[in-house]
Amino acid sequence: MSQIELSGISKEYAVGDLTIRAVDGVSLSIEKGDFLSIVGHSGSGKTTLLSIIGGIIRPSTGKVLYEGSDICRLDDDRVSEYRNRKIGFMFQFASLLPILTAKENVILPGLFGPAGATARGKAAEEYLSVVGLSDKINSFPSQLSGGQQRRVAIARALINDPEVILADEPTGDLDEDTEAEIMDLFRKLNKERQVTFIFITHNGDLARQAARQLRMHSGRLEEVSRIPA
Amino acid sequence: MADSFTIFSFAARNLRRKPLRTAVLIASIGLLVTALVFVLSFVRRVDSVVKVASDRLGADVIIVPSGSRGAAEDVLLENKVKTFYMDKALVEKIGRINGIDALTYQTYLASIVGQCCDVPETVVVAFNQDTDFIIKPWLGKAFGRRLKKGEALVGNESAMNISVGLTEVDGVLFGNLFKMVGVLEKTGTGLDTAIFIDESNIEDILTKGKTALKSGQVSIIFARVKKGFDPSKVAGDIGDAFVEVNAVARKDIGRNILSTLRDLNRVFFVTVTLAAVLSIFLVWAVFSAIANERSWEIGIMRAIGARESHVSRLFLIEVLFIGAAGSFIGIIAGTAVSVFLGKHFMMLKNVTADLGTGERIIIGLCSLAAGTAICVAGALSPVRRLKKLEPLLAIRKD
Ligand SMILES: Nc1ncnc2c1ncn2[C@@H]1O[C@H](COP(=O)(O)OP(=O)(O)O)[C@@H](O)[C@H]1O
Ligand SMILES: [Mg+2]
Repeated sequence: MSQIELSGISKEYAVGDLTIRAVDGVSLSIEKGDFLSIVGHSGSGKTTLLSIIGGIIRPSTGKVLYEGSDICRLDDDRVSEYRNRKIGFMFQFASLLPILTAKENVILPGLFGPAGATARGKAAEEYLSVVGLSDKINSFPSQLSGGQQRRVAIARALINDPEVILADEPTGDLDEDTEAEIMDLFRKLNKERQVTFIFITHNGDLARQAARQLRMHSGRLEEVSRIPA
Repeated sequence: MADSFTIFSFAARNLRRKPLRTAVLIASIGLLVTALVFVLSFVRRVDSVVKVASDRLGADVIIVPSGSRGAAEDVLLENKVKTFYMDKALVEKIGRINGIDALTYQTYLASIVGQCCDVPETVVVAFNQDTDFIIKPWLGKAFGRRLKKGEALVGNESAMNISVGLTEVDGVLFGNLFKMVGVLEKTGTGLDTAIFIDESNIEDILTKGKTALKSGQVSIIFARVKKGFDPSKVAGDIGDAFVEVNAVARKDIGRNILSTLRDLNRVFFVTVTLAAVLSIFLVWAVFSAIANERSWEIGIMRAIGARESHVSRLFLIEVLFIGAAGSFIGIIAGTAVSVFLGKHFMMLKNVTADLGTGERIIIGLCSLAAGTAICVAGALSPVRRLKKLEPLLAIRKD
């Protein structure tokens, strides 16, 4: 059984009288420990597809099976639990809560998990140091650069030890050195803990670092290259 | 420090981000609860005062001159200074009515500062010590002997005004010097603000001519009814037999005040209800704005795993804090207003019996519940709408 199984996924948005088909009949099997990249033009449906996998939005048609069960049929509590425990989501855009410090932002997913936030304080500091922000623990997002904010969001995605990481242009505003560090971190987590990675990028070099390379075009997905495991 | 980051500190942070708005909401709830506490205290107080006062009056039937019933209730229940007179011969005649067990009478004189007397304005009660059963129960151990001519007893409240207590004080009443020799126990009735003298002093007072009283007049007759007789029936018989008097059974005393109070209750109820509805609208409007402002943040929270119940809980904490803080302020302010402002209401002006702590606590708890419930009610629909938003749509809506 694949870890994630997409079959016949479509997503349509209604904009006035028009319907925009953002994702169009996507099927894909993802195994535990896979490392995938997705490239594609802006507006091709990458973010929408990633959000469907992450349980943040429901597809118009099709199924998303996670370890055999359809997450689109889960009730709200269960799908929230799925987002919280199984998935680490890195958004394309700034996504930190402005009233919380870096550390509190990283703890936040822990607040919705079973452990409770108090047990997560130490882990939050550790992950912030992994992304090189030990000295910014108590800074608010407004006091951080775009790249620093993104690194906080990465730490937040890691805090609950997810099984799948969905990253929407995760290294977008990072300089090359930091980008390389983050990619190293991803690869390390992927190797050591069998964490599945799916990341969207505009950077062809980064995309080629992935074992499986996919491309989206007008809502359709094709697998460009696959290095056999 | 940040290790103790919880949903509570998160809620507190949210409340602090727009302190003025939070303060205004708290103040609004505070105002509403102030009104509520004040109204409840006022109503309960008048109600209990009337009941206590009529219960403690040791008479089954009260007889006053025709047309003076209202004035008599004012004196007995509300401690107002009023006088009214009837012929003393009526005492004996009424005593012959079937069912009367005992009778006593009192004569009321109004003391006016400067003109006749050197004590604050009050009712001076001249009573007959041989037949009295109204004042005796309140003399207690404090005063174990008969009151002599030229001596006066002071009601529990007046005692403070004239500072009678440990030492004996002299006072001039209607041109005569009186020695204040004792203080009555607290009765919770109009007697608390009066001054008491023996009937035998009336002659001297009349001689000095500093009062409207004429010889051979009394103000009020108290009757006790024999076992097995209905006080209302006896009162009716007295009223039928003597047109010049008005006889009232004890349970009917204060009925006028209570029916006025019932109307007042209705006015209060409508006003407070409207204010409560207004507050719900206010909370609703503010939380609708808050929901719009925070929909992006809530979308992020939902996307990283917050359940609908987490969103509800976060807002519930904020709402409960506003409600509880507002109610708390309101309870203190309302109690203060009812204590201080209450003195300026005619209906409560001289009322001595205050609300018990227990009653105040019950009023406080009811108001706390109402204040927080109003907050929750107002925030309910905006929060419901917010938590139902699809996370990605909420996030992208910018
Ligand atoms: N909430 C929405 N309402 C309407 N149209 C949307 C919405 N979200 C995305 N779209 C449209 O769907 C298409 C795919 O968007 P998206 O998944 O963000 O693409 P990408 O991430 O590849 O740039 C675009 O045409 C976009 O305009
Ligand atoms: Mg995108």
